Amino acid sequence: MSKGALATEKRGIRELGAEEHVGWDEVPQGVILESFEEELKENVAHIRPEERPYSDFNSYTATVASWRVIKPVYNRDVCIDCQNCWVWCPDTSIISRDKQMIGIDYDHCKGCGVCVEVCPTNPKSLLMFGEFEEIEEALAKWPEKKKKS
Amino acid sequence: MAEKMELNEVEVWDGNYAASQALRQAQVDVVAAYPITPSTPIVENYGTYVANGYVDGEYVMAESEHGAMSACVGAAAAGGRVATATSSQGFALMVEVLYQASGMRLPIVLTVVNRALASPLNVRGDHSDMYLGRDSGWIQLDAFNAQEAYDLTLCAFKIGEDMNVRLPVMVHQDGFLTSHTAQNVHPLQDDEAYKFVGKYQPYEEMLDFSKPVTYGAQTEEDWHFEHKAKQHKALFDSREVIEKVFKEFKDLTGREYKRVESYMMDDAEVAIVALGSTVETAIVAAQQLRKEEGIKAGVVAPRVFRPFPFDEIREALKGVKAATILDRSAPMGAMGALFNEITTAMYTTPHRPILNGYIYGLGGRDFAVNEAKRIFKEAKANADAGYLTTPIQQFSGVRGPKLGFFETKRG
Amino acid sequence: MAITNIKNLKEFSTANERLEGAHLLCPGCAHSMIVRELMNCTDDNLVIATNTGCLEVSTAVYPYTSWDTSWIHIGFENAASAISGAEAMYKARKRKGTLKDPDAPVKFVAFGGDGSTYDIGFQWLSGAVERGHDFTYICLDNENYANTGGQRSSATPIGASTSTAKAGRVSYGKKERKKDMVAIMAAHGAPYVAQLSPNKWKSMAKGFQKALETEGPCFINTVSACTTEWKFDPKDTIAITDLATDSLMFPIYEIINGTELNILYRPKNIIPVEEYLAAQGRYKHLFKPENRHVIDMIQKEVNEKWEYLQRREEARV
Repeated sequence: MSKGALATEKRGIRELGAEEHVGWDEVPQGVILESFEEELKENVAHIRPEERPYSDFNSYTATVASWRVIKPVYNRDVCIDCQNCWVWCPDTSIISRDKQMIGIDYDHCKGCGVCVEVCPTNPKSLLMFGEFEEIEEALAKWPEKKKKS
Repeated sequence: MAEKMELNEVEVWDGNYAASQALRQAQVDVVAAYPITPSTPIVENYGTYVANGYVDGEYVMAESEHGAMSACVGAAAAGGRVATATSSQGFALMVEVLYQASGMRLPIVLTVVNRALASPLNVRGDHSDMYLGRDSGWIQLDAFNAQEAYDLTLCAFKIGEDMNVRLPVMVHQDGFLTSHTAQNVHPLQDDEAYKFVGKYQPYEEMLDFSKPVTYGAQTEEDWHFEHKAKQHKALFDSREVIEKVFKEFKDLTGREYKRVESYMMDDAEVAIVALGSTVETAIVAAQQLRKEEGIKAGVVAPRVFRPFPFDEIREALKGVKAATILDRSAPMGAMGALFNEITTAMYTTPHRPILNGYIYGLGGRDFAVNEAKRIFKEAKANADAGYLTTPIQQFSGVRGPKLGFFETKRG
Repeated sequence: MAITNIKNLKEFSTANERLEGAHLLCPGCAHSMIVRELMNCTDDNLVIATNTGCLEVSTAVYPYTSWDTSWIHIGFENAASAISGAEAMYKARKRKGTLKDPDAPVKFVAFGGDGSTYDIGFQWLSGAVERGHDFTYICLDNENYANTGGQRSSATPIGASTSTAKAGRVSYGKKERKKDMVAIMAAHGAPYVAQLSPNKWKSMAKGFQKALETEGPCFINTVSACTTEWKFDPKDTIAITDLATDSLMFPIYEIINGTELNILYRPKNIIPVEEYLAAQGRYKHLFKPENRHVIDMIQKEVNEKWEYLQRREEARV
């Protein structure tokens, strides 16, 4: 299954609950979680996510792909880069860089369908398909422009 | 830069004033507090210091004690020295946050001026608030007089902030009996006091943007136990640091504190175990009894209430034949809290003195030297008989028919 | 902040995200839409406190955190106090020169649901605002205690069915009106208060920026449509929010210094509240003939509120 746009070595590598269950001597004091495993050299807001030293305690390293039964498929050919889907994705799963849509983070997408609903193009640039449908096949089935009645 | 105060070699301070001076000298970064009798003067005095330029830190006048302790937790997580003060109802109101603070391993100093818990409403001194916070995960020290209120508050910062501890610390003192009783106090000068306490060392702080941290995560059944076990161990491990700090304090001032204080115990055959100002009442009674009637009486007092000095209590009471444990809080359908903890410590040793308990002094009811002497003599009668001659739990100083609960099945 | 004037969504989209995925919020939840808008509208360092609730419980379950900024959760009612303490510590350490990076810009933000803001945490918020700490409080208003299964809060509107104020044979749901937190916060003297909505992303982003830049305590109530408890399909969150703002059930406005009220969204076509109510399961019982009068009452009060807002905007009081 495709991990989607801009996947990194650390993204979505663990199912929730699949962490190693260590003992009291190894858990962090005070249940304090560090977001990164290295000291950041600059403001985190200036570092692109794919370049951050995420710690294993960061949910970036977990995946919720198993929540989906349907998934959004992104069609680059129809998209106008309006960024509607980017702003309204609840799961930080629409990846956009330099004002251009890159694609979907399938490690973190829950398949809610909001992105499809807010897509303004005709036909839409995002459509929901079955979770196990191949991306290429989905793109081949893309509908034509709908005529206004 | 905060102004310094020049103090006399001997000052006349009550427990509240002594505690507030210690807070000032520790150069606390954030005090978030709310007034409640009888601890109000602590926050008022601190306000006076702030208004006159003696404090460099921030003073947050919270809208309730729960809000005060919550602000303390937020401030502590932001990497600086934090303290506050409260009593009774305010303590009860912030109890939820006490557990949260210790679970997050944040050093905060709380000076508790012990006062009865309603209902009925009462503003005088007893230990019901202290007992409410027993399991809250804080290190807890008990001051018996104004000097100790000052000394132990300074020690509290050093103990809690130690990197091998990182736990919040309470310093208890009796409401009105200590807090409002002016006594001679030998303070340290500002520079000396601050040097002893030391500079605050941040750890996992929210204001270090190069290392963002998350405080207050949730743990479900697969993780909760490990975190609580770790915290529990940290409390017992803190004994070493407490002793280290007490030694440093002794080297600096000559005043020595122990996790369990023993008075005239070397040859004692009967003892009273107590907390707070009652300890000094019992000492006077013991001294008088020795002189007047030759009864070998002694006094044992846990200086460190938490972590409970299980080991040191066994040492302290190993030689007595009988001891009476005084609880200044109504346990409501059980033996007194201190009674329970002391007897448990002795039960698991080969030597089991005859132990009984009294509930006394509730709501500020006076506990006189004569009553302490009577209790010593009762313990002596038990020691001579070889068994407990009275009910296990009795009440001292309450009007009405005699109250006693449960008889011994030994002897 | 680097992103000062967000002219359009394309510009907005150049922000580097600071809320990570794989949190446990329901698919389609508006909470994270709102949090993302806040975190993306500035690149100042953020210290965030959150009350117990959906957001907190979904973004910080050991051993995971979804926050790329410093974050604290203490309890249900006290995020405002936590942020007060952190802000006070910042001031103290700045004055004493003990900050690691004293020139780094930082903003203090607290999040709470409507339950923790309108009810159990009301006093804590009131105290923090009265003391004038420099922070922004954002209420994620989904009009119920969603995290614990949809019980009523004082933000639940009249006529809504919740698990404690249920619609049944002898009840049409909640009988009490929704508390007006925005007015209450303005009455505290908060220099900037607003009601904003994630579907109107531009006014939300600008409102957030204004609040962050305004010195003192700012309060923003945000419309957070809840797919689980309002009972609509997860994909329709923005569509339902559009109905909420176009029917004026949730007017979008700001109040500056207590007197300058500005309406930030004027629907081209104001739709009847009935359309908004009909789209959600929690109001379905209102369409029984015996409950018709409740819909009429709701419409009347929405009209009156809209009238009131317009008159205040004109009068500048």
